[in-house]
Amino acid sequence: MAIDKRFIGREYGPYTYTIGAEKLREFALAVGGAHPAAGTPGEPPEHVSPLLYDDAAAKKGPYGDIIAFPSFAVVFAIRPFGAAVADPELGVNLLMLVHGEQELEFLDVMRPGDVMTTTGRIENIYGKAGMEFVVVATESRNQRGDVVVKGLWTGVIRS
Amino acid sequence: MARTFQVGDTFTHVRECDLYRPIYYAGASGDFNPIHIDPEVGKVAGLNGVILQGLCTLAWAVEAVGLFVGDPGRIRKVKVRFSRPVRPEDVVTFEGKVIALEADRLTTEVTATNQRGEAVLKGAIVEASLG
Repeated sequence: MAIDKRFIGREYGPYTYTIGAEKLREFALAVGGAHPAAGTPGEPPEHVSPLLYDDAAAKKGPYGDIIAFPSFAVVFAIRPFGAAVADPELGVNLLMLVHGEQELEFLDVMRPGDVMTTTGRIENIYGKAGMEFVVVATESRNQRGDVVVKGLWTGVIRS
Repeated sequence: MARTFQVGDTFTHVRECDLYRPIYYAGASGDFNPIHIDPEVGKVAGLNGVILQGLCTLAWAVEAVGLFVGDPGRIRKVKVRFSRPVRPEDVVTFEGKVIALEADRLTTEVTATNQRGEAVLKGAIVEASLG
């Protein structure tokens, strides 16, 4: 069943998220291949940059504190996309939903304590090759009001 | 750590999706869509078991470029199309190439292939700052 194009332009948010140091470590190490155990995110694999988890090394580094793995941003910036595909009026079958495409733009690094506010908007709804596509654009600002992350999320609903 | 880059430079990064990686990534990211953690739901959804979150594959492409430029904080943009899901126990090889170089910006194209030679990411673009 085709999703009604009249929902193009519908907005979701704002959603606010405070970045915490342990969450940054957990994400960087999960991506990096560590094995979480006993309440820790696990031992950092050798290839993972210490700027992402080691306070002492990061303090001496270019950013003065640990920084977020860039795509950590999805943890908070996904909210409008999640809200759109779960919006009962759109009627998306979540079991048939897969992630089709993703764009992320990072205008600055993110550090523990940053407070990110994300808003989003349905940019497009269309059908192609028997599948339905929902495209959501997001923008995340820090506590100073600067745009730090822009996202373009494309969900594909298989038929 | 100053190094110079040239258009045409290449790099490779290999990652294994170990058995529980989709669950670890779910915990870290909050993406607990059951198609990533429950094989039964994966079957009902016609996916033949669980699949790794596409955003974890994206993260590995970003990781590959971060290692190439020597600092994950320099990543400025990523654009991917998910061609095919990654499954537990897949080994994914990321092959990148510098396709453009401006004063302070490096653009790479990254392709990711599983152990069967099937593309999981085709023509992903990752940009990093050099300033």
